[in-house]
Amino acid sequence: MRRWRRVLAPAAAGLVLLVGWEVGVHLADLPAFVLPPPSQVARTAVEVAPLIVDDVLTTLTEAGLGLLVGAVVGLLLAVLIAAFPWVSDTVYPLVTLTQTVPTVVLAPLLILWAGFGLLPKVLLVALTAFFPVLVAAVTAMAAVDAEHAEMVAGLGGTRRHQFWLVQLPASVPGALGGLRVAATYAIGAAVVAEYLAGQSGLGVFVQRSRKGYEVDQILVAVVLVAVLTGLLFLLVDGLARLATPWQRSSHPSRPGRTPA
Amino acid sequence: MTSSLSTEAPPTSGPALEVAGLTVTFPGTGRRAVGEVVALQDVDLRVRVGEFVAVVGPSGCGKSTLLRVLAGLTPTGGSVSGRAVVGAATAWMPQRDGLLPWRRALPNALVGARIAGLDRAVADARARALFDEFGLAGFERAWPHELSGGMRQRLALLRTCLPGRPVLLLDEPFGALDAITRRRMNAWLAGLDLAGHGRAVVLVTHDVDEALLLADRVVVLSDRPGRVVLDLPVPRDATDGARRTLLTALDPRGGA
Repeated sequence: MRRWRRVLAPAAAGLVLLVGWEVGVHLADLPAFVLPPPSQVARTAVEVAPLIVDDVLTTLTEAGLGLLVGAVVGLLLAVLIAAFPWVSDTVYPLVTLTQTVPTVVLAPLLILWAGFGLLPKVLLVALTAFFPVLVAAVTAMAAVDAEHAEMVAGLGGTRRHQFWLVQLPASVPGALGGLRVAATYAIGAAVVAEYLAGQSGLGVFVQRSRKGYEVDQILVAVVLVAVLTGLLFLLVDGLARLATPWQRSSHPSRPGRTPA
Repeated sequence: MTSSLSTEAPPTSGPALEVAGLTVTFPGTGRRAVGEVVALQDVDLRVRVGEFVAVVGPSGCGKSTLLRVLAGLTPTGGSVSGRAVVGAATAWMPQRDGLLPWRRALPNALVGARIAGLDRAVADARARALFDEFGLAGFERAWPHELSGGMRQRLALLRTCLPGRPVLLLDEPFGALDAITRRRMNAWLAGLDLAGHGRAVVLVTHDVDEALLLADRVVVLSDRPGRVVLDLPVPRDATDGARRTLLTALDPRGGA
């Protein structure tokens, strides 16, 4: 029963909101270029579906590639920071400082330097994604169980053994945690970059719709961004689970979560 | 951190391991750093090849520190002085098993072999044979968290034995287990002949009966600062007398 309530309660609340929106728009007689009713958004979604496929693919490509580049760069930098104290001392504070600039602010610069194609979008997503991965991996490596490092030393292992056997594998769950966070930003970062320039993508679609006061189309894009972000998160989460199989069955059952 | 341990070339015959006049001090805590703690004072220990030596003492007497120094692990912040003739390479087993959660049982067992640079195929074959001997057969692909406490300790011991280092240093290998499992583990360990084949074992424990069951010789450390107060060969039979001597040495005022 409890599990059903967890599904039904938010679904019912959402439905109430949708109905309220529909009724409210009709009662207030709002024009469609201000706020269209959800029924019209749904109709528009079906209409534009064939046209929007290319835009969705473009945005997904940018987000996916950016996430990949960001994760690789973040993890590599984390490894360097963990392996060499002087890198940690010189680079890490600087990298942290650069995060005071929201990456979105850099989007115009990236477009000036890297053109109007895929590259500036991928770069922006990568810039947004690498920091959470970096911080999570560095934190995980710094928090390595002294017990494990000592075990390696007690068997005659060198610092290099400690790094390969303990620190690097210990960083993986952390880096994947950071990647999960980064996955939630990726689509949004790609769309913002597309607002500024581009031939295709959900951001381009939104800009085009805005110029035509087609609020229903903008709302379709908003829902799509939400759905795509959710899907991307689930994908990264699934990959993370696959990559850390030892964590799968470590939480066998949570009390109070068993279906009644 | 200062370390003045002079390590000499391993002798071809004689002791597997020897320290003389070993003193370990830790700086005092607090801002004024007063009251430095002497963990070990002037400890002499000589372990011959083929010998199983148990080090017993009250908790906090520095027996774990002694084992760490023998393993070449400099205690953090401590200063070590004395003369060490570490005759042979050692393999140290920590009190807690130290198993890596991201490696299955077999790869965990191979960690020591990999550090020692053993050939993979050779190490693999040896590990599989030892899994049988250690009662872990069938659990090669289990994750550490899926193993029981006793199995984890056995796996940690297996990992320590696998590289074939001449000296095994075991720090309360079964100290964290419940009494029954511990008794069972010790009976099994006694039949394992760890100190055979030119090896030597130093076992740290606070359990006199464990020491008597497993060791050829028992060394008793005093309360802090730890120093050797008794060095007693264990007769193969009639350990009752030895037991009484040990308990008296451990607690001179108690009158066991």
